[in-house]
Amino acid sequence: MSGAAPQAEARTLKLTAPWRERVFPNNEWVLLVVILFECVVFTITGSNFLGSGNAFEITRLAVEIGLLALVMTPIIITGGIDLSVGSMMGLAAVVLGALWRDAHLPMPLAIALTLGVGALGGLLNALIITRLNFPPLIVTLGTFSLFRGVAEGLTRGIENYSGFSQGFLFLGQGYVGGLVPTQLFILAAAAVGVWWWLQRTAYGRSLYAIGFSAEGARYAGIPVRSRLTLIYVMSGLASSLAAIVYVAHLGQAKSDAGTGYELMAITAVVLGGASIFGGRGTVLGTLLGLFGIVILQNGLRLSAQPAELAGILTGVLLVATILLDRLSTRARTRPARAVNLAEDEEVRNSQVAVLSAVILLGALIVAGSNWVLVRSVRENAGAGAAVVPGTGAQGSNAAKPGGGKKAVVALMPKAKGDPYFVSCKAGADEAAKELGVELLWDGPTDLDPAKQNEVVEAWITRGVDTIAVSVENKAGISTVLRKAKEKGIKVVAWDADAEKDARDFFINQATPQGIGYTLTDEAARITGGKGDFAIITASLSADNQNEWIKFIKERLADKYPDLHLVEIRPSDGDRDRAFAETQTVLKVHPNVKLIMAIAAPAVPGAAEAVKQSGRTDVKVTGLSLPNMCRPYIKEGVIESIVLWNTVDLGYLTVYASNALANGQLKAGDTSIDAGRLGKIEVAGDEVRLGAPFVFNKENIDRFNF
Amino acid sequence: MNFSRYKRELSAALAYLALLVAVGAAAPTFFGAGNLRDLALNNAPVLLVAVGMTLVILVGEIDISVGSQFAVCSVAAGWLAKEGVPVALLLPSVLLLGALMGALNGALVGYLKLPSIIVTLAMLVAWRDALRWVTQGEWVQNLPANFQWFGLGQTLAQWLIVGVALGVLVAFSWMLRNLGAGRAVYAVGSDAEAARLAGIEPRRVVFGVFVLMGALTGLAALLNAVRFSAVPSNAGIGLELKAVAAVVVGGAAITGGRGTLIGTLIGAALLGTIGTALTFVGINPFWEKAIQGAIILAALVSDVALGHFERMRAGGLTLKTAGGAK
Repeated sequence: MSGAAPQAEARTLKLTAPWRERVFPNNEWVLLVVILFECVVFTITGSNFLGSGNAFEITRLAVEIGLLALVMTPIIITGGIDLSVGSMMGLAAVVLGALWRDAHLPMPLAIALTLGVGALGGLLNALIITRLNFPPLIVTLGTFSLFRGVAEGLTRGIENYSGFSQGFLFLGQGYVGGLVPTQLFILAAAAVGVWWWLQRTAYGRSLYAIGFSAEGARYAGIPVRSRLTLIYVMSGLASSLAAIVYVAHLGQAKSDAGTGYELMAITAVVLGGASIFGGRGTVLGTLLGLFGIVILQNGLRLSAQPAELAGILTGVLLVATILLDRLSTRARTRPARAVNLAEDEEVRNSQVAVLSAVILLGALIVAGSNWVLVRSVRENAGAGAAVVPGTGAQGSNAAKPGGGKKAVVALMPKAKGDPYFVSCKAGADEAAKELGVELLWDGPTDLDPAKQNEVVEAWITRGVDTIAVSVENKAGISTVLRKAKEKGIKVVAWDADAEKDARDFFINQATPQGIGYTLTDEAARITGGKGDFAIITASLSADNQNEWIKFIKERLADKYPDLHLVEIRPSDGDRDRAFAETQTVLKVHPNVKLIMAIAAPAVPGAAEAVKQSGRTDVKVTGLSLPNMCRPYIKEGVIESIVLWNTVDLGYLTVYASNALANGQLKAGDTSIDAGRLGKIEVAGDEVRLGAPFVFNKENIDRFNF
Repeated sequence: MNFSRYKRELSAALAYLALLVAVGAAAPTFFGAGNLRDLALNNAPVLLVAVGMTLVILVGEIDISVGSQFAVCSVAAGWLAKEGVPVALLLPSVLLLGALMGALNGALVGYLKLPSIIVTLAMLVAWRDALRWVTQGEWVQNLPANFQWFGLGQTLAQWLIVGVALGVLVAFSWMLRNLGAGRAVYAVGSDAEAARLAGIEPRRVVFGVFVLMGALTGLAALLNAVRFSAVPSNAGIGLELKAVAAVVVGGAAITGGRGTLIGTLIGAALLGTIGTALTFVGINPFWEKAIQGAIILAALVSDVALGHFERMRAGGLTLKTAGGAK
């Protein structure tokens, strides 16, 4: 119906077309405008957005997704899609780690074999697609589960390979000439290579032909199957290359590498003007699409705007781009399709209505986000909040009556939306208000060590006084934290520790050992020290939970030989899944007398399952938040939950961060004054909140978080 | 009964049967009444979404934003209940909200002819992040007592939920086979231009299908939410993949025009049972995802093994859909 095919064909074949059409055959110039607009807005609202340092940092973040997107471009041009690239990254990362650490292969050989595994995975996709003639969407949906599943199966979800050599890590963390990130060269080489291959060789042009019409291409003598096979193999290869860069960037290899990257890669390609129906797309467009997204994310971060805006704006941008493209294509094709003119005329009224509605909606969203941005600029200017190096002009405003400047404390949770961290934030806000510090609260929306690095990088660029991180992965984040320390920023780890030399202090609420032991002791108390129990964990690859389980098993072996752990099931942090898993466990193991859920949303899920089963002889315990579990604790389904006061944890972290920033807290201190918490013990480089606390029916009403 | 109509469904059904027999031999307790009831309840929301997804796939489109819509509807249901909206009004409100979100997709795909996979990809990201922004991750707690189970009591409401899901499936199945609107869905999915010449308005059909998809997602979200006493803000992550996989394993062609709701039921049952079945048999959960992926691929390959090659002729090499470039 679109008529895009004949039109694009005419345009790409006619070499005498105006330069604008030759360079931007699919209106990619729109993206250039968007990127320029983003740059202008973020230069005004953000801190230190403009500068070569940040420019290169942005490219570092773009490399892994860029590699996937570059190879996704030819696939989408042929009318295909590859959803398995993110999962292949997970598999390749695990294979690399296993070959290097467990098989003791030299790194170059391990890399070569990993690339081989990627190519094999791509070949599997290719064979099913080309030999069995199945739609790529479905085939790669299957391998999307398969590859990730094999990665999890091979490592039992637990294995986390780290300790790679400095030479290898340089690939992902180093700078060439002190400024240019190493992996940028890989991306640049890949971009030039794919561009040349796709747009300057007959081989590449044949892919466009396949995209227009696979049947037609076959009649024209193009070996469609072998060409398609090659691009899917290349996709697997690029995924494993991206995985290698990812591992070098984070310094760790785990089965969850690259989760969700396939959608970001596809977004970049489509934003860049490629048609999902095939036959259209350019490498330049893909790169512009990629940087459009990455700059948006980086800029929002530097302007201290909610990261959620990035998703909303990306969605709007995506729809707007294809809408604009559709309209301009229609405008130009109409005369050529005189036959259908009548239909187009007739269509117009309803289409105009829909179009107006969509544009109105888009405008509202853009206006809304502008309002947020402008408001933040005003706040910055008015309150003089941003006391950062390089914006000294505002410094005079910042001086408070009491003297001393207002510190900027940046606090990062493991995942922003997690109720556990939401309650920490309440305490952090309270402390920031009392102390008059500016609090930045940002982090990944889901557990994602790569995102944590990105946020820290942005904060370094922005220039803050203290960075406090709840570390998702030690090996992954410590390099960038050391970099922050070098730049004179104070670094604090809270909730979960980084490597010791990468931070100044650790706000310690409880050790994994303390948590594991307390949980086990509670289980023993409830069951009388004997019988069967099951654990509902977060995801199978969650580091924290796996460490707790290790100590739970240790404690069981030491003290409670009659208490048996019969099953460990994942919940993926999803209450509904925890509910279903608990139901199954209760039926498979009728002797289980206790469910121990060790992720905050899993405890109410498990409790609801026990309650609905009517089994009053089964109790629930675990690690969760009082508010979530209150009704079940009062009903007696949940016997007790183990946790610390999370509000106090956030509160203490901000107090310690502020004290560190203005020199009140130094190495060697034995205590710190923490507002309403009074004097808090400091032991060595750890600030101690206290031991884990057991919440039960008697004391639960004293807590509200 | 003409079985040749259901050849594709047959291969999925055989796979399901094989799974049930294997599990029955290894762990007969699997067929306990309580377990079957829980399986039905836990999979009812996925089934409802998969019914809508079948319609969408039948017209040759796809909707990958349902997981985010599901989360928005869940939270909205919680908020409304907390604001004191009577339980009886929850259903129409949530259906309306779902239908509105579906209508946005439908307008963009049906009337403006934008590719559905991109439109719904945009919505997947946008709705999810908008919800995260608004809720800041907070759950909706302290709901009125009559929110859980609609205030009807556990047993009655459980029957109601499963009944509604199956009722919707049967009703849509009947409508697809016997009503003009149902046949129009197949017609548009097979060849939109031919359908247009036959007097069907493809745009309206596509729009309508997306609206139904949204409304069914809203229904699924509400029926899922009332099984609990609080509403989490991160529900439905990955739901779109479950629904699409169920439809495809059930034998529907992703290129549109072919597939039945019976197949979708079998597909949803197969994929929804496998995790529980593995636990009963005692297989390590670490391999679950790999096995699920293998099942999807096996369903595809068995299709070929059974000798149905129509898809080759339909040009299954590309993603081209009926609404797209021709």
